[in-house]
Amino acid sequence: MKKWLIFFILCCGLCLLGIMGNLHAVELDYHTVYKPEQGMSIEDIMQVKYFVKYTKFAHDYESTGYVYFVDKSGFTRERNFLRQRIILGRESDDLAYKDLVMFTGPTAVKGLAILTWSYMDPAKEQNQWLWLPSLKKIRKISAAQSDDSFMGSDFTIEEITTRKFEYETYALLREEPFRGYACEFNNQLYHQGADCFVVEAKPKRSPWYYSKRIVWIDKNTGGDIYHEIYDPNGQLYKTIFKDYQVMKVQDRDYPTQMLLEVKDLRTEHRTVIEMKDVKYDQGLSEALFTEKSLMRSRW
Amino acid sequence: MKKIAFLCCLFFLAVTAYADDFSLSGYLKNEFSMGMDTFNDVHKFKNILGLSGEYRINDDWTLFASTRYWYDAVYDWYEKYDPAQHYMGHVQRTDWLRDCYLDYISDNLDIRLGKQQVVWGQSDGIPILDRVNPFDLTEYWLPDFVDLRIPLWMINIKYAPKINSVLQLLIIPDFEQSTSAPPAAPLSFRSYQLFQAFKDWWEGPPTAIPFKPFSGTVNANIYYPAKKFKNSTFGVQWLDRIGELEYTLNFLYGYYYSARTYFEGAGGMGTILNYGRRFKLWRMYGGSFNRTFTEAGPLQGITLRGDFAYYNDEPVTYGNPDTGSSGGVHRWDNIFWLIGIDKYVATNWLVSFQFSQYIMQEAKPGGVDPNTGTPYVTFNAYTYGPQDQVENIFSLKIMTDFMHERLKSEILWSWTDDNQGRVSPKINYEIKDNLWLTTGIHYFYGNEYDTNGQFRDKSQVYLNITYTF
Repeated sequence: MKKWLIFFILCCGLCLLGIMGNLHAVELDYHTVYKPEQGMSIEDIMQVKYFVKYTKFAHDYESTGYVYFVDKSGFTRERNFLRQRIILGRESDDLAYKDLVMFTGPTAVKGLAILTWSYMDPAKEQNQWLWLPSLKKIRKISAAQSDDSFMGSDFTIEEITTRKFEYETYALLREEPFRGYACEFNNQLYHQGADCFVVEAKPKRSPWYYSKRIVWIDKNTGGDIYHEIYDPNGQLYKTIFKDYQVMKVQDRDYPTQMLLEVKDLRTEHRTVIEMKDVKYDQGLSEALFTEKSLMRSRW
Repeated sequence: MKKIAFLCCLFFLAVTAYADDFSLSGYLKNEFSMGMDTFNDVHKFKNILGLSGEYRINDDWTLFASTRYWYDAVYDWYEKYDPAQHYMGHVQRTDWLRDCYLDYISDNLDIRLGKQQVVWGQSDGIPILDRVNPFDLTEYWLPDFVDLRIPLWMINIKYAPKINSVLQLLIIPDFEQSTSAPPAAPLSFRSYQLFQAFKDWWEGPPTAIPFKPFSGTVNANIYYPAKKFKNSTFGVQWLDRIGELEYTLNFLYGYYYSARTYFEGAGGMGTILNYGRRFKLWRMYGGSFNRTFTEAGPLQGITLRGDFAYYNDEPVTYGNPDTGSSGGVHRWDNIFWLIGIDKYVATNWLVSFQFSQYIMQEAKPGGVDPNTGTPYVTFNAYTYGPQDQVENIFSLKIMTDFMHERLKSEILWSWTDDNQGRVSPKINYEIKDNLWLTTGIHYFYGNEYDTNGQFRDKSQVYLNITYTF
């Protein structure tokens, strides 16, 4: 009897451990502003980080911007874009948000537009439509592989659009003031002394193009201001910096990406994305994120 | 129509003087191509100036126009191209105005009024439902489709009764015929060359074999549809989604854009031959679909797409394939369908495969050539060679990029079950933001009766340089 009791307690213990092992952080409500707080679990902190990254606190988002591709000799190519997003968080059709990116310059790429629908289900890929000026038609496209370059930049597609909270495991390494980031693009020093959580994130997928990344998360905004990314051999090969500024929108503080700089330490190539004219909650219509809207393209 | 174009342009220029919301851009492009047989046969040295302007009147209304002027110096360099010089050497008729329209946009209703292109269907490089605009095939199917389509003046209304559904209505009171290169041009169709050769022989001096004791006359008249509203082309498309499946239903009714040649009798004691080129009414019923598998599983990342079209009363020419002499035109019901599959593999390699079938409902036109006794067969419209009742068409396209998308490369192989086809590798390199270079090869193979095979001696290497501003 005693043996059975010990066996039963052991089983219960193992089950409990199993349940705890699969515990996820609580789901966050869309259209609500969250900040990481002292005492939060690492999962909660990362949930907030993803919430901030995809602007899920807002109803809609719009910005113009510039992308600069800079090679090691300093030769620079430029792209201009308009980006619009509507955040839905709608359970009936599982839609998290819809995103529209249109290139507005230079002339050679003007008119190229990509419509993306992202889903809440972490296992579900995005749906994407592409407006091709050379054909004047819409092509439904297969999602590119997550380790592919994002539109020719040093970012991967996963780093910009597809990575979700569930894709990695996390460990809190320490809490520390950020040492600051000297941006090569404008020679400014950013976020020096900002209080940060330092998190180690490892991909569940293996083998994968990186083995781990160390992420500095700003306690003030929840933004992932700095990343060190390590290749499968454990060598640091890429750094990402993101400048988050707080924008006051209808008495709410919206953490907003204003500048991104990513450097490939192997090739010395870097990409800078600079956001301009960021606007939130303008009441963008969902009708803007449809094929009919893509068909309006004139270029 | 010219007056409308002129007035639109005048209005366009007038408003620009006051416009803050005006944007203008353009390009200068040189297209050079050379035959691969001897590498001293230049096919093209075309210089193009393109200008586009957009004036945003307010949030709902926008005016847009684009123009294109070109000059191909090759037709002044070589005497052998002289017969084609007038048509191929410089910009043609209304070809200079590529777009000129007024846009009204709202959540539920979009209206585009003016000269424009409308594209239907999911296929790449094979126009199954893409039949709203006629095509300029003076350079075969080699240019981008945006340059192949001949824009038309039309009313294009799109109404969205619900968020992802669109009902599109087209009223096209304009008519242009699809065009092809005249004989002497490098990519002239065999059918056109055969007719020209016959005309030259008939109008030439008397010959013993074949016996022709006179110099005759060949009259070829073209009869365009009368410019009446009832002769407009009408189109309807319904676009909707069922779950993850997106589909369209399409209908088009109007004049077939390619004329068919009819023998209209002889005169002058049989020395004058009268031919008429006429356009025939036809209907297209069809639909398309696409589905990307986004859910986790073995199909994840695959896009399936397809087109289906039922061509009602499609004019089909038949005749003697040995001589290329036409016996007449049947109006048959034919089917054209396609299925395509796309998938990214190995990070950034896009593989796209298409299979399509063109199925003629009937294959035996009946009758024999009165001169030779050869039974008539259905013609391939490009070559006047025999056309299979079921034509199986395949294409495989592989694309990737290097150097942060500065260098893009692709290879397209399209072929049929008759062992004929085209292989086209291409490289696109961004020298600077505003300077792009494209180079590649079009390699044709097959026999002279086949659509691609007719150009088996015209394989070419090309180089395009584009400067944008």
